[in-house]
Amino acid sequence: MISADISVMMPEIALAVYAMAALLGAVWTGKDATAPLVTWTTVAVFLGLAAWIGLGGQGERTAFSGMIADDAFSRFAKVAILVSAAAVLAMSQDYMTRRGILRFEYPVLIALAVLGMMVMVSAQDLIALYMGLELQSLALYVVAAIRRDSVRSTEAGLKYFVLGALSSGLLLYGASLAYGFAGTTRFDGIIATIEGGHASLGLLVGLVFLITGLAFKVSAVPFHMWTPDVYEGAPTPVTAFFATAPKLAAMGLLARLLHDAFGTATADWGQIIALLAVLSMFLGAIAAIGQRDLKRLMAYSSIAHMGFALLGLAAGTAAGVEAMLVYMAVYVAMNVGTFAFILSMEKDGTPVTSIDALHLYARAEPLKALAMLVLLFSLAGVPPMLGFFAKFGVLRAVVEGGMPLVAVLGVIASVIGAFYYLRIVYFMYFGTEREAVETRMVPVQWGLLMASAFVMVAGVVNLFGIEAAAAAAADVLVR
Amino acid sequence: MSLALIAALPFLGALLPGVMIRAGRNACATVTGSVTALALLGILLHAPAVMRGEVVTARFEWIPALGLNATFMLDGLGLLFSLLILGIGLLIITYARFYLAKSDPMGQFYTYLLLFQGAMVGIVLSDNVLLLLIFWELTSLSSFLLIGYWRHLPEGRQGARMALAVTGMGGLAMIGGMLILGNIAGSYDLSVILTQGDAIRADPLYLPALILILLGAFTKSAQFPFHFWLPHAMAAPTPVSAYLHSATMVKAGLFLMARLWPVLSGTDAWFWLVGGAGLITMVLGAVIALFKDDLKALLAFSTVSHLGLITMLLGLGTEFGAVAAVFHIINHATFKAALFMTAGIVDHEAHTRDIRRLGGLRALMPVTFVIAAIGSLSMAGIPAFNGFLSKEMMLEAAWDTGTGFAVLATLGALFSVGYSLRYLVHTFLGPVRDDYPHTPHDPGPGLWLPPAFLAVLVVVIGLVPQAAVGGFVKVVAGAVTLGEPTVYLKLWHGLVPALYMSIAAVVGGAILLALHGGLSRAWDAAPRPEAKAIFDALVDACARAARGLSDGLHDGAVSRYLAIMTAAVLAYGFWAWSGGEHTPGLRIATPLSPVPVIFAALLAVASLALVALHRRRFVALVVISIVGLVVSMAFVHFSAPDLALTQLTVEVVTIILLLLALNYLPKATPVETTAARRLLDGAIALGAGIGVAALTWAFLSRDRALPAISDYHLANSYEGGGGNNVVNVILVDFRGFDTMGEIIVLGIAALVIFALVDGLLRGPASRWLANRVPDMPQAGDRHPLMMVVATRIALPIALAVAVFIFLRGHNEPGGGFIAGLVAAIALLMQYMASGFAWSESRQHFDYHGVIALGVAIAVLTGVASLLLGWNFLTSTNEYVTVWPLSKVHLASAIAFDLGVFLTVVGSVMLALASLSRIGRRAGEGVNLTPMDIDPEAPGRAGKEPH
Repeated sequence: MISADISVMMPEIALAVYAMAALLGAVWTGKDATAPLVTWTTVAVFLGLAAWIGLGGQGERTAFSGMIADDAFSRFAKVAILVSAAAVLAMSQDYMTRRGILRFEYPVLIALAVLGMMVMVSAQDLIALYMGLELQSLALYVVAAIRRDSVRSTEAGLKYFVLGALSSGLLLYGASLAYGFAGTTRFDGIIATIEGGHASLGLLVGLVFLITGLAFKVSAVPFHMWTPDVYEGAPTPVTAFFATAPKLAAMGLLARLLHDAFGTATADWGQIIALLAVLSMFLGAIAAIGQRDLKRLMAYSSIAHMGFALLGLAAGTAAGVEAMLVYMAVYVAMNVGTFAFILSMEKDGTPVTSIDALHLYARAEPLKALAMLVLLFSLAGVPPMLGFFAKFGVLRAVVEGGMPLVAVLGVIASVIGAFYYLRIVYFMYFGTEREAVETRMVPVQWGLLMASAFVMVAGVVNLFGIEAAAAAAADVLVR
Repeated sequence: MSLALIAALPFLGALLPGVMIRAGRNACATVTGSVTALALLGILLHAPAVMRGEVVTARFEWIPALGLNATFMLDGLGLLFSLLILGIGLLIITYARFYLAKSDPMGQFYTYLLLFQGAMVGIVLSDNVLLLLIFWELTSLSSFLLIGYWRHLPEGRQGARMALAVTGMGGLAMIGGMLILGNIAGSYDLSVILTQGDAIRADPLYLPALILILLGAFTKSAQFPFHFWLPHAMAAPTPVSAYLHSATMVKAGLFLMARLWPVLSGTDAWFWLVGGAGLITMVLGAVIALFKDDLKALLAFSTVSHLGLITMLLGLGTEFGAVAAVFHIINHATFKAALFMTAGIVDHEAHTRDIRRLGGLRALMPVTFVIAAIGSLSMAGIPAFNGFLSKEMMLEAAWDTGTGFAVLATLGALFSVGYSLRYLVHTFLGPVRDDYPHTPHDPGPGLWLPPAFLAVLVVVIGLVPQAAVGGFVKVVAGAVTLGEPTVYLKLWHGLVPALYMSIAAVVGGAILLALHGGLSRAWDAAPRPEAKAIFDALVDACARAARGLSDGLHDGAVSRYLAIMTAAVLAYGFWAWSGGEHTPGLRIATPLSPVPVIFAALLAVASLALVALHRRRFVALVVISIVGLVVSMAFVHFSAPDLALTQLTVEVVTIILLLLALNYLPKATPVETTAARRLLDGAIALGAGIGVAALTWAFLSRDRALPAISDYHLANSYEGGGGNNVVNVILVDFRGFDTMGEIIVLGIAALVIFALVDGLLRGPASRWLANRVPDMPQAGDRHPLMMVVATRIALPIALAVAVFIFLRGHNEPGGGFIAGLVAAIALLMQYMASGFAWSESRQHFDYHGVIALGVAIAVLTGVASLLLGWNFLTSTNEYVTVWPLSKVHLASAIAFDLGVFLTVVGSVMLALASLSRIGRRAGEGVNLTPMDIDPEAPGRAGKEPH
């Protein structure tokens, strides 16, 4: 019995054991001197686990009395989380080492956060959900403030912690209400108590609190307030991490919760999610216009993108979940490339994140500028880049889900949002003469930037087949 | 040749110029031209079939799940546009070969040009709206690269930016429109959508779809109010402006409107939006063009005007209008491209495009003059040239529509004559000047042959329209209207109203030209909105507004973030509550007795007092302790003595620790907010409180969804756990595993406090503490005799109580946790009364070790069960008699409880020790005689220091 349970969670257990072993090993040996080694080992472990899960896993299994599931959905999300985390970790090692902020705890904390995310996306129970979420969040709180000698980094970490604790509280409150009115914490138990397509009032209020708690994690408006500050204040590699894997995990968890536990009451939550989505898209698009700092801009950009991904969920259909998954995968790929570039920006050895530094960048580095052009167009959702297909998928799901006006709002938001991406392109190609920024790249960063840009173009051929995987994953959730 | 191959040819060919440039400029131009010619040939091979009325198609599955198929079709409309794109493309490639200077990177230019060409061909051949969208945005992208090619022209930048911003966003808006269209029609294939006209027009989403699609079309085709970007994009090199901004890209919007004409036209919304915008653009563009001195700007605005004309014709929604539109597309493409090329020749030869510096070129450049004359007379609508024919048809259509249309259309035509003649007269006629920047003469045939070819077409179509293009126009118009339009093109229409309007326009235009000098001065003096300035101001205003929003919302204050979050949660909660049905709970409330009411009132008063007094931190702490005590009384009331005891002891420990910590913190919280802000915060907090209270009430007044778990525990406590105190049995047995985790967490928390303080004392805070001046005068009597004596007497008693509570725990209220807290309080009292240093020096425990021991004992208890073959943490119990005590009921779980006890004591004491380190650093001296009342000590009340 217990061995069957453990075999389902084998990748998670392996990662947990690795994280603890790495922590103890580093403490007992060279401490921070071992940090690069630990970082690269963690990257290798992530990739190994991704291969293991992606290639080895099949079928549907549950463990620990149905608290944890291993199915196509969790595998899709886990592989995406592991690969993106590995990419971000790999490209941040050089940056952090050169600025003396690479501590051996960093990769370990990332590993623990990823472990939490893996639990999140396979949760089948409110308790498992909370456990995974908190493991992830606690690791992220620390990571956000890892640069302890920087006032902004610590301030960002503290803000994130205070607000995150509040959101966790809300989530727990919602979970307790859901338990009180459904009599169980199991998702399949909760969904069994929903009759006639509507959750009872108590359950609905519980769901609202659960959603608000998770909306904080995906930084959906109006629970996004921490995002710009944390993105700007945290060291850039941490920002890159925040923008990728945790978003994917939280979105996956939200999809799980909504469909596995409340899937027959789509009418009840569809509007809440749609409202979150519309607010996020507009705020993200409008507020980004005034930003001069690339990291802060990426924060608003991610808020807007989360809005689009939420649109897919709001549709409440299998097509919507599928579109959301594809969107998140594309979003993460774009962000990895963009942050690989932002990481490399510097002037006289100190990092630069101002947009003004990019003036006429295309003259100095035509190839990198071209890659950025592709990525920015893709972020804006301009055809034929992959970003367009992602955006189109969710919009189509929403239209078919019976909310065409929401889709129109989404289009308007994407038009507004395109402005600031295109402005960066304009600066790079036509800006005024200024002191140009240097972009010193290690091969990993260069490779990831180019690979990401290449994917955005080449993906139009068949989306690399992730669509089939996403469809299979969505089918698990929506039956 | 398959259509897909034709569409792909320019893209594949785009690789060649970059390679061939090594073989020389001629080879490069030749290979580029060959690619285009090959594609043109492919189209021409299909032409006979299309002329017979067939639709050529090619189809591949691409991403079917998205509804995206690589399907292509070629009908009359597609044929017209692909001929324009490829034919004029061929001419432009030839022209550019001779136009580009030696220093310009030609390979790059041709690569971008072919990319652009491929995108344009893709648009007109697509049979899938998504495919069309992709090609649509590709034209924006490649045109951006083409315009950006002339990097050294500063004015090109602004134009490129504006063009990209306006057309790019329009394209994105169109995505939404296409999405809705596809959803209504049930397919994203144009051939299906085109058959669903009635369904689409009747759909409630028709208007949003129409507006979104028109946004795309209008921005691309520079229709009012988006007309402003086109003239600014003219800073690009002449071959680019001739190709993109006259013949092809700007016509993409027209193409789209013509393509979707069968499904979208025929409604009032279409008529007013499309017809209105077209009419305004036509007049506005013509008026502005008259007053432009730059040849290319003049042509640019004339292009805007003519695009408006065609848009207006499409907007009428009539078959005749569609025929006229198609015909004018052909005519405009021929004469305008020719004119652009002549403008380029003039620029190339005279090194200026400023009309005021030109004139008299007729004698110097006779060939160019002839071409320009044919082009501009056609543009003016003079008979014998093709422009006249379509303009007549336009005027006739306007006449049929209504007086207003007719008047405005005539006005537009009038100004059109004015600027056309000005282009010709002020540039080429008049005396030869001697102050040209560069003495002009006719260029080589490479530059004048392409426009000459077009000029020949202008004349041929103008003279024998029906024979030249009559059949073709019929096929194309048939593809637009999906019908069988009657087309008969002829030079002489008889004495119809259109003729009089035309005559009026020509005469008026000639008068305008004669009066141009005065009018121009008046125009310059008159205030008028400058589109570019408005655009820039608009962009700036948007940026400012956006910055205002983000700065106002994200001002970095956590309090604001919390307020917004809480308010949002409240709103969502209210929404959920108001949306559902709710019936009052059926559970009968417990009858009220006076005592709990009094305590509840006390709780409420204390909470309110806390809000009122929270700035005075000591007082606030006292009030908080009242709240805690009332809560423990509530536990007593509901017959939960264990919880009450725990709450009580925890309350005491935490309050004392807080009190000690507060010693080193400011004693008051500063006021940082305005009264209004506090009022708002108070309202939000009140709302949240009411919400939570309502939820609690709702929950308590209902029966549980499933039977409470307490019955199970009551039934199994003695049987399974060997104890009568259910709470304790839960802690050490039923949920022993949880407890184990909890004491580990508790221990870690204490270690973290220790580590934090340790770090603090090594950092700058240490110096601050050492030099700290207490914010209140210290009482000389630091260790009051009464307290010292009382605590010392209380110590053994309290410890005995702890042991007692610990031992009885399994069966009566008590247990390791409470006992640990009581023991900790016993020790805490000594710190309070006798001082940190005194107490520290009398304790020889390493509290790290105590914590470790506690955890180890707890774990070992569990492991022992494992070794005996039971599950982890299984417990057993026995009645034993230990002399001289009476019979005692002992459970093995008591060992586990001992672990809990030790961990709790260790954790509290470690936290206290950490605080005491701070205290001693802050100057609390080692004070080995606690009853050290020195009446002469400084600071003592009533005594002045010596």
